[in-house]
Amino acid sequence: MFANWRKKSVEPAVSSDMLSKQRRYNSLVKALHADIFRYAFWLCGEKQVAEDITQETFLRAWRALDSLQDDKAAKAWLITILRRENARRFERKQFDYADVEQESLEDHLASSTEEQTEQYLLRRQIAKLDIEYREPLLLQLIGGFSGDEIAELLELNRNTVMTRLFRARNQLKELLEKTAVRGQSNG
Amino acid sequence: MDELKFRRQAYEDPRNQDPEFLEQMQATPEHQALVSELKRLDTKLSQALKIEVPEDLADKLILRQQLQQHHKQRRQTGFLVAMAASVAFIVGISFSLLRLGPVDLAEHALAHVYHEGVALQVDQNVNFSQVNAQLAAMKNLEHAKFIEQPGKVYYTSYCDFQGVKSLHLVLQAEKGKVTLFIVPIEKRMVLDNTFADGKYKGMGFETRDAYILLIGEDQADLSFVKDEIKNTFI
Repeated sequence: MFANWRKKSVEPAVSSDMLSKQRRYNSLVKALHADIFRYAFWLCGEKQVAEDITQETFLRAWRALDSLQDDKAAKAWLITILRRENARRFERKQFDYADVEQESLEDHLASSTEEQTEQYLLRRQIAKLDIEYREPLLLQLIGGFSGDEIAELLELNRNTVMTRLFRARNQLKELLEKTAVRGQSNG
Repeated sequence: MDELKFRRQAYEDPRNQDPEFLEQMQATPEHQALVSELKRLDTKLSQALKIEVPEDLADKLILRQQLQQHHKQRRQTGFLVAMAASVAFIVGISFSLLRLGPVDLAEHALAHVYHEGVALQVDQNVNFSQVNAQLAAMKNLEHAKFIEQPGKVYYTSYCDFQGVKSLHLVLQAEKGKVTLFIVPIEKRMVLDNTFADGKYKGMGFETRDAYILLIGEDQADLSFVKDEIKNTFI
């Protein structure tokens, strides 16, 4: 009797609410999980950890989904959750987080074309970038955020963000040119 | 915009759409070359950042959320069931506590007389030793007994006063029959010395172990039986 009562009178209202929330969550996952996972990876440098952080991020997002008013802000919102989740990881355990693990970068030199070789090198360089320089670049390139948006997300002022973007590109460009020159002279 | 500022802006964001920046870019071929070089770098970087995403990640994210939701619902259902059980438990306890509230013996005695009308009609001609045997079987009345026959006893039976086992007797008085209840003393009982309704009159008193209630049609009969009981019942 109790079960019937629940089914009949409570579920319709609740379930339509739940259903729309579920739909919203599903589309959020579909649209943004790749970006969030990649961002997590470039933040922590390990695929497994990145996957864990992504899981936690989306679970928290689900719990707080009602607080997300504007779906256009979803990406920035998720990234905020993700960064908090990543920081929490360091509170729990002190990792050596300076560099992205080289082993986990998958592409191998042996069986790759020139383009893939370059991509491999580039990934190594990105991973070597200091986190202060890496993160604004990730936000710009993966997130597609403007300088102001990045500044807000990272809680920095805009000038600092722009300086870091400048240095990040500068470093990468130099490193690439150096390896390219070395490659040429060696070849 | 000077050269340095232009270079800085190009490095900060090669896709800068600021009119001043665009104008500066068009100004010299070197500027154009720098910007397109940086754009190429950005394209390569974007490609490089696109590491492979585990194929089943999206499904996993949805699955984990649904599992958690499921657990939450089960917890909620469990909570509801627990609440319902508690409420039922409290209701049950209150009812049994209410039963322990004061019991008005007079009212029950009258109701009993009306209910067991047959008691006033039968003639079992009971001996007092039989009554004593019944008394001996009653809780808290093991030591109570009649020491001699209290006049003629027409009827004897156990009866129930709100869960307390009592004895129901019908005795012969001077004019008519008088119903007599012997109820073991309990704190929650309330006994009036006299009571009555349209048809019957009643009288109540206490002995050492029991409440005695007398109900009959005639007041003098009640007093008669009362004296009889006081003499024969200890």
